[in-house]
Amino acid sequence: MAQKKNTSIYLAAALLFAGGLAWLLFSGLSENSVYFLNVAEAKAQDPAKLASARLFGTVAPHGLARPDGAGDLRFLLEDKDDKAVTVAVSYRGTVPDTFKEGAEVIVEGGMEKDGSFSAKTLMTKCPSKYQKQNRQKL
Amino acid sequence: MYFFAYALLLVAQFCSLACAGLAIVQIRQRQIQGASLAEKGHWAVTACLLLASALLLHALFWKDYRLDYVASYTDNILDVFYRLTAFWAGQPGSMLFWALAVSAMGTIFACTRSCRELQPETRLWFWAFFHIVMAFFALILTVWSNPFAMTLPAPADGRGLNPLLQNPGMIIHPPLLFLGYGGFTVPSCLALAIACSSQGALEKPWHRASRTFCLTAWTFLTAGILLGCWWAYMELGWGGYWGWDPVENASLIPWLVATATFHTLAMERRRGLLARTNVFLISLTTIAGFFATYLVRSGVIDSVHAFGQSPVGAPLLVFICAMLLLSAGIAFQSPRRGRALTNPASREGLLVLTVCTLLALAAIILLATMWPVVSRLWTQAPQGLDAKFYNRVCLPLGTLVALALALCPLLSWKGAFDARRGLPVLLLAALAAGLCAFLGYARPHPLAATFAASAAIGGLALFMLLKLLGRPSSDFSLGALGCHLGLALFVLGVAFSGPYKNEADLSFVQGEPQTLGGYELVLKDLQQGRQPGYEFLLAEIEVMKDGRAVGILRPEKRAYDKFGGMFFTEVDVLPSLGEELYASLSGMDGRGRAVAKVSVEPLVNWLWIGGTLMSLMPLLALRRRKTKAEAQ
Repeated sequence: MAQKKNTSIYLAAALLFAGGLAWLLFSGLSENSVYFLNVAEAKAQDPAKLASARLFGTVAPHGLARPDGAGDLRFLLEDKDDKAVTVAVSYRGTVPDTFKEGAEVIVEGGMEKDGSFSAKTLMTKCPSKYQKQNRQKL
Repeated sequence: MYFFAYALLLVAQFCSLACAGLAIVQIRQRQIQGASLAEKGHWAVTACLLLASALLLHALFWKDYRLDYVASYTDNILDVFYRLTAFWAGQPGSMLFWALAVSAMGTIFACTRSCRELQPETRLWFWAFFHIVMAFFALILTVWSNPFAMTLPAPADGRGLNPLLQNPGMIIHPPLLFLGYGGFTVPSCLALAIACSSQGALEKPWHRASRTFCLTAWTFLTAGILLGCWWAYMELGWGGYWGWDPVENASLIPWLVATATFHTLAMERRRGLLARTNVFLISLTTIAGFFATYLVRSGVIDSVHAFGQSPVGAPLLVFICAMLLLSAGIAFQSPRRGRALTNPASREGLLVLTVCTLLALAAIILLATMWPVVSRLWTQAPQGLDAKFYNRVCLPLGTLVALALALCPLLSWKGAFDARRGLPVLLLAALAAGLCAFLGYARPHPLAATFAASAAIGGLALFMLLKLLGRPSSDFSLGALGCHLGLALFVLGVAFSGPYKNEADLSFVQGEPQTLGGYELVLKDLQQGRQPGYEFLLAEIEVMKDGRAVGILRPEKRAYDKFGGMFFTEVDVLPSLGEELYASLSGMDGRGRAVAKVSVEPLVNWLWIGGTLMSLMPLLALRRRKTKAEAQ
């Protein structure tokens, strides 16, 4: 008898736990999910849909403007595979050490109506291999 | 010579395969008496891998750029220390290191009394499982990720090691993680072997026989993760210790599963519960370690850490699925032992809650990390989850674990509450939480974590003190008490430094004060200059509070001659056990202002203190202690 009673208590506790968990997961998934896209995939979407997105790409060799005081950092983000597809990105804030032309970066922010991307965070990838080409650029 | 090294890897692979096959054949034909060749094979495998590793180190030392691996990760100007440790800088080398470490652990286990005391059939089963794992990793080395691949003619110079990795902390971080991932292989193979063997009932429990391996692996894993956090905070100047990046998550999943396993093991050891679950959970720990390797090495998820696409992914995934099915099948086919769970409002019940929460955390983190892949199933535009999601879902669960941690030592296994010690502790914790709320740290969720952490710190410190004074207090060992005290301090650090961190990107003009979180910051000096080997930009920021000088922050930005074009941030902090000030210099803007990321980090150092305790205290528990049940 005691055995049975315990089982039902454990069952109730498990249901409560699972319910809480499901609620947490559901609310988190519905409110905090962000599009994770390559540049080409982002271009294919309606900009209005991408109010909150994370883009993966490479900093294009041209079109990089460093901030001069009040201005934003502006650069073109090109697709990893198709260099012809680019998105204009603007960003204000700390620029990571390894940011430069040709660096693989991740930007988080939202797509503007004009198809440009305004980034709230800018991260550069942390490569385990050091590319010699980059070093010789100096 | 490198052909010979590659041949060694092939020999290791065939040896493992042959041993696994031989062991299984002998078990099936019941030829289990006497020493078997299958039990000696590990010597050959370890020797081959050791020699191959020595050859790779030799090539790294002598800068033999004929090897692709040497050319990819070192160059002429790299110090000899970093040249040798480039052994685990890249994928093929780290796989070789992994295989060597696991194989060496197998050999060490073979030399222990625990191994010799096993029944012959169990021993054969153990070597069968162990060699299956070894054969798979040797297969990866020989087919998909060969460290001895060559290109002729050799380039004159290598491509060099990423300067960010040229830091002693960063050199120890990967091998610690690998030892943590691989360290659970011996315990899990042993658990599976005992579950399979017809003589399993005669064995002493697997967790006693492999206790040392479990504890050291957990210690390595904990220390490895903590070192990664420290590196992100102090060296990278990212301004945070944890960013919920896929690679960070990958190391957390095995840690969570391993920690859950330790708690179900405590229930088995003390109360004779959950024996079958434990066999499955320890295997799951090892598999989670494999999965972490998969996540990091396969390129399936885009992460800040770019390891690139590599062919190792698919075979690893197949192996992971196969092992998962195999271990689940073996664990739950074995006969049910032990008894059912009793009162939920007892230490037993709380431990079940803790274990479920830890496993749920592991599952959620796994799902969220893989979400960009999972969501591709129904949409063209994959979705991922950012740090907000993790904080929202994982922190409440973390608080739940902390609450269990606070109550657990005060409850007995059967549910009796130790009111004489418990009530004062809970009262003090409530006072501490009230004080925090009074001081303005009143957000409900961190407040709950603060209450839990204070209660846990109070209770555990009390029990430790009583234990050190030689008074009988609780049935926890000193190592366990210390480790949990570390966790409680860690929780306290996270509960404050996470939500109450005050961070801003400030542009400084010399002499003009800026304010952040009640502090007044004045740029006193901005110097540009040269030191041997590098150019630097140094900002001197004086910090004042209420008109009193607190100290001077000296963040630096350096450009080393050796790595032109790359800048390095030298973070500076004003260390404090209360509010720590942190500054990372971003550089100068066009108008000659110094731009720096400055933050006020409350109680952040308790996180490092707690983490260090967590990494070191389990070593105290290495000394074997007999429980009452075992002594009888």
